[in-house]
Amino acid sequence: MRSVVGWIWLLGAFAPGLVGVRTVSAQATRPASTQVVECTKCHADHDLLAANATGPRRDSALYVTGAVLDSSVHRSLQCTDCHRGFEAGFPHQVSQVVVPCSTCHEKEGRDWAASIHARNAEMVGDAPTCVGCHGSHGIRAATDPRSPIYPLNVAGLCSRCHADPRIIGRYFTGPGDQEARIAATAFPKSVHGIALTRDGLVVSATCSDCHRAHLILPPDSARSSVNRANIPRTCGKCHAGVVKVFEASAHGPDYPPQPGIAEGHPRPVCIDCHSAHEIVRADRPAWQRSTVRKCGSCHEHLYETYFETYHGQVTQLGSNLAAKCSDCHTAHDMRSPTDPRSTVFAANLVHTCSQCHEGANTNFVKYYAHGDPTQRTRYPRLYWPWLLMTGLLVSVMAFFVIHSVLWLIRNGIEHRRGGHGSDGPGGGVPGGGAPAAESPTSGGSAS
Amino acid sequence: MSRRAMDAAGRGAGPYIRRFTGFQRTLHVMVIVSFLGLVATGLPLRFAAAPWARGVMDLFGGPVAAGLIHRMCAIITFGYFFAHVIQITYRMLRVEGPKKLLWGPDSMVPQPRDIRDLIQMFKWFFGKAPHPEFERFSYMEKFDYWAVFWGVAIIGTSGLFLWFPTFFAHFMPGWVFNIATIVHGDEALLATSFIFTIHFFNVHLRPEKFPIDTVIFTGRATTEYMQEEHGLEYERLRRDGRVEERVVPSASRAAYLWSVTVGFIAVGIGTMLIVLVLWALLA
Repeated sequence: MRSVVGWIWLLGAFAPGLVGVRTVSAQATRPASTQVVECTKCHADHDLLAANATGPRRDSALYVTGAVLDSSVHRSLQCTDCHRGFEAGFPHQVSQVVVPCSTCHEKEGRDWAASIHARNAEMVGDAPTCVGCHGSHGIRAATDPRSPIYPLNVAGLCSRCHADPRIIGRYFTGPGDQEARIAATAFPKSVHGIALTRDGLVVSATCSDCHRAHLILPPDSARSSVNRANIPRTCGKCHAGVVKVFEASAHGPDYPPQPGIAEGHPRPVCIDCHSAHEIVRADRPAWQRSTVRKCGSCHEHLYETYFETYHGQVTQLGSNLAAKCSDCHTAHDMRSPTDPRSTVFAANLVHTCSQCHEGANTNFVKYYAHGDPTQRTRYPRLYWPWLLMTGLLVSVMAFFVIHSVLWLIRNGIEHRRGGHGSDGPGGGVPGGGAPAAESPTSGGSAS
Repeated sequence: MSRRAMDAAGRGAGPYIRRFTGFQRTLHVMVIVSFLGLVATGLPLRFAAAPWARGVMDLFGGPVAAGLIHRMCAIITFGYFFAHVIQITYRMLRVEGPKKLLWGPDSMVPQPRDIRDLIQMFKWFFGKAPHPEFERFSYMEKFDYWAVFWGVAIIGTSGLFLWFPTFFAHFMPGWVFNIATIVHGDEALLATSFIFTIHFFNVHLRPEKFPIDTVIFTGRATTEYMQEEHGLEYERLRRDGRVEERVVPSASRAAYLWSVTVGFIAVGIGTMLIVLVLWALLA
């Protein structure tokens, strides 16, 4: 199997164009060719095949009806266009050679041959070749809803292997393979998956739109469409406007590095915030809140100080009432505060804050959205009030806690000494100082 | 008997003496209701990262509804604050004159005696002196009073800044709202910590008072209570022959039950809230 497939694809690579791709549209209603009629005399006869076939599954593999062939995009081809070397007559001269698909589908063949599927198909034998995805005799056009590669069917097709625990267990066990492990189950619930399955939106992205159909490569490969460096281009195939803005933002590749940005964080790409297979609508409140944590995974100090403000506290409590990162910094066009085109550039703040705070003026925007009162040099206006209030809180509480504890201890001592409760003053008080709770009879006699 | 066992204000012998007017009692109920509401809706924000914060906030219907409750309680707070200031002003100008309210044994104003009482109290803690006897207001009650007075002023002002920031931004720079947030939150945390531990201990939970003192609700307490808690004031009344004019009948059973119930609910909620604070601080 391995050697045969390899041979086929070598052939596909070096001997292209043996047969031209025929245009089939004009021949949609073509009557079955004489050859097809001849071949299906036997190959459409189940009983005959069963009686003469040898080996396991020979029967079904050889069973080809005229109806199947007629439903195919290849209906204009003769059987021997692909099955060369098969001579008429019975029994056939047995030949394993099938003309490689790349004979006609040159680019697809070349792409597949460079893909991870080709490597595993050759090495292990459990990755799909052409027929694995497209079928064989009944190949339909990608625009045909019954085709396995029709947009609405692609995810199901890929899931036949990628949801299979055996495949996952064999290929996707590494720490970096988390996305590959969840892809088949997560994708249908994502915004792209829901658009496909619930709404039947054929233009929504499916597996092959991001991973490509034939040149599928793992993300650590530089040529992969899902390599980090290529993600914006891949997403930009559809989200062109957003990617254009993003590429020019502080997160884009050409923006000058900013001082104070934590070292060791690569610039984010689309999937860092949106995820790869769990993408949800960006207007979902819960998702909007969750983006704050994603920003914070790099912007650590801004993240911490944000949660010291009302904005952050309300967000943390699960409400979308207050501003989140993207409300002030935008979702894709974030820029340094020193950049005149930034929404948080000083001259633009009134406009930015006014989105929520109607009537905000130049005074208003002097608010420190990320003020940290513990930083004396940077925020002296906040440091001293904070120190004063903290000092007041600690000293008052410390004093009175000591006061109360000493009182309690003295109560205990007095109580043990003479049952006179705890208050001492009532030297002349009739009935002594014992609380009523401890000597109810004295209360009773007095009433 | 059960009444006496439960309520510190009903302890021991003697007829009941009036301690608080209906107006003062009403104001204190307003303080309790609004303060509990303010703390319960404010704490989840102050400790938004605490594990209980989200649950408490959702209990009130989320930050929007909780914010509304918080502001309604703030209005009650401003209400009792100004009602008190107006009444005190009226009493100073028309009824008792300023002298009695601003100085002397019936005054809330801290005086040298309070320092002496505090020192004697510490001596008593170590067995070096008898327990000090108090006038109408002990130094602890004066501290409570001025803490609330100062607290309402400072928390109320900073709260107004944060309530109407765009309006106040006409007069002050935006970083004042940062300071207002710090001051509002820390002063509120101090008030919460103080009221739900120290005030509760001094007034309800120390052994002489445990488990509840209803004097602020019924406005009256027994002679024995007055002798023990405010001995100097009682002595002064007796010396002046004015005890009789302060004697009142004991509270009705309904008023008593109502007072104990409100007291327990308030102390219970307060205790729960301080547990949340400690949980958040220690977590």
